[in-house]
Amino acid sequence: MKMRHSVFMLAGLLAAGSSQAASLYVGHAKAAAVCSQCHGIRMPSADAPFPPLGGRDVEYLKTAIKQYRDKTRVSEIMNAIAGSLTDKDINDIAHYYGSVKP
Amino acid sequence: MKKTITKRLNQSLLAVSITTLLSSGVAMAKSDDMHQLYEDNCSSCHGSDHGGYLAPALNSETLKGRSPTALRTIVMAGSFDTLMPPFYGKLSDDEIRGVIKHLQATPKQPNPAWTLDDMKKSLKVYVKDESTLPDKPTYKIDNIDNLIGVAARGKYGRGEGARAIFINSTTHQKVGEVPTGVAAHIIDFNPANPRWAYVKTDTAEIFKVDLYSMQATRSIKTGYNGPGMGVSRDGKYIMAGSFVPHNAVILDADTLEPLKTFELEGIDPDGKMVSSDSGMIIGTPYADIFAIALENAGQVWVVDYKKDGFPVTKIEKVGRHLHDAFLTHGGKKLMVASYDDSIVAAIDLEKREIIKRLPAGCVPHVGGGSAVVVDGRTLGFGTNFGDCDKMVVSVWDLDKMEVVKQIPVSGGTESPAAHANAPYVAVDIISKDRRARTVQLIDKKTLEVVKTLDVGGHAYFPEYSADGKFLYISAGYNGDEVVVYDSNTLQKVASVPMESPAGIFSRGRVKYMTRGLSPDEMEQSK
Ligand code: HEC
Ligand code: HEC
Repeated sequence: MKMRHSVFMLAGLLAAGSSQAASLYVGHAKAAAVCSQCHGIRMPSADAPFPPLGGRDVEYLKTAIKQYRDKTRVSEIMNAIAGSLTDKDINDIAHYYGSVKP
Repeated sequence: MKKTITKRLNQSLLAVSITTLLSSGVAMAKSDDMHQLYEDNCSSCHGSDHGGYLAPALNSETLKGRSPTALRTIVMAGSFDTLMPPFYGKLSDDEIRGVIKHLQATPKQPNPAWTLDDMKKSLKVYVKDESTLPDKPTYKIDNIDNLIGVAARGKYGRGEGARAIFINSTTHQKVGEVPTGVAAHIIDFNPANPRWAYVKTDTAEIFKVDLYSMQATRSIKTGYNGPGMGVSRDGKYIMAGSFVPHNAVILDADTLEPLKTFELEGIDPDGKMVSSDSGMIIGTPYADIFAIALENAGQVWVVDYKKDGFPVTKIEKVGRHLHDAFLTHGGKKLMVASYDDSIVAAIDLEKREIIKRLPAGCVPHVGGGSAVVVDGRTLGFGTNFGDCDKMVVSVWDLDKMEVVKQIPVSGGTESPAAHANAPYVAVDIISKDRRARTVQLIDKKTLEVVKTLDVGGHAYFPEYSADGKFLYISAGYNGDEVVVYDSNTLQKVASVPMESPAGIFSRGRVKYMTRGLSPDEMEQSK
């Protein structure tokens, strides 16, 4: 896909999305990259309707994410996102966000 | 010919608005609503003409056959590691479905008009009497050149987070924030009067900013979008150019009043008459001229702003799809990148002719460019997207105008930073995977990559502080900080929080013209 302005244009060698799916959430960096899309790293956008995660209680985060995964807490979007997370992913991400200073 | 198109367009726009007035037809109103929703939320990135800008074109042609469900998902969740934000919760499900339907049914629009009169009407004055402004900075700073401006985009490319943020690069503290409504894109400083800066947004508004009191005093909308902006050496004129519509304008830098517009069209290197996007615009310290690149026409125009009627000298056949450029030799020579020819064309601004075309890797994007003097040679550095198989940064000898080396780097690059006092040239790797988190450092002497910094976020737009002691890097997209490194030890020394930071612009740039050169050099070559 061609964009007219380059400052933000990404190189064409886009890694095919699907092949990455398995490892998408592995590691802090990637977790941060995915979740930060909505939640930001320290803070979500002032304009965004997403709750902040940075600096929150690790246990709370773990429980919340697991509830989304199990669909005991219902949110169309979080159910879809948490659906493929493993316990280890959840652990990593919760610790990562817990350690971030908001 | 151009005129008739514009006229016809105006008439059809008129027709549309009349129909809307007359009919309260639900279907019509709905599509109009969706048009407005697109304008308000999407067009700053995807283009008012649906032809793409910072983001791909969204129209009936480009979205033909695409699954509405898949597109809806992208709009809801955004696209990871890109500027495409998640609209879940910002727009209702019905709105998202509606806008996708609208996009899949809307062809790319003809270039809409934005005339001198439209510009005049858009002029806003925030501070009526500028003589009431303080006569020195209201915050602590030893030298105003130490200011660094960051274009903070805000997650949605507009809103609260969209600001020009100014930092004192000796303390790494924010000293001012100027809200711009829509994402700030380019920041230019007035070379003649240290108190003024100009901020251009994604939707082509230009704000005149008082750096002493850190507020906007005026703004004007110069088009629908397009990044081009330059300030004259005497600080009296600004020239700005747009992608939509295809024109450029000279403004009075003091009042922001538009003085003259230029229709950008000409014969391209293949002999075809085309209407053209505006590429880079630059004011040079060497003369009372602006240079502007016509992207599609492949021409560089030189405009004499001190002469009556702002006459234009056209340099044709410079290269296919021109974009950005940098100055060397006291501002007498201009190095212009051509995406499609993968060259950088050296232009003599005195003689107003092409000197030479130099190989520049693959799809060169020189950003603001960089030039450094090493062992008596002036070396220019050029980044490139590298979306063919070459991943190199090109180094040219700018005296001899020849390639010195093509340095292999780990991915595509879009912006080199250098400073006379700093040992490394920094380039941001933009390839869309883990590499996007990194910035590579090239040793000026050995011309080898010596270090890779893992900055995080989508790291881009490196910039040295005016004294060369610190390297500032945006951890952009979903990152929410600017990270500061010591230029010598490469240790991280500070982090400045802000929403989706992008371009970083040191006020020092006005002193050294091109990043990496020393101010003395500029003086000498005058
Ligand atoms: C597309 C946007 C989006 C993305 C991406 C996203 N979230 Fe969410 N998240 C939401 C929304 C919306 C809510 C509020 C849902 C609700 O009402 O329960 C939420 C809520 C949460 C909560 C509950 C917070 C609280 O205060 O109870 C947690 C925890 C959470 N998300 C974790 C994550 C993690 C971890 C990731 C990355 C794997 C992630 N989210 C990615 C949109 C997103
Ligand atoms: C801040 C900039 C920005 C804004 C605002 C924005 N987009 Fe995007 N959009 C992007 C970028 C960048 C991409 C390319 C993403 C990628 O490469 O994966 C994109 C991709 C898309 C795509 C996928 C295109 C394709 O061909 O796959 C759709 C659809 C889309 N955006 C719709 C919208 C809509 C609708 C809006 C407004 C409600 C909007 N965008 C607002 C930046 C933006």
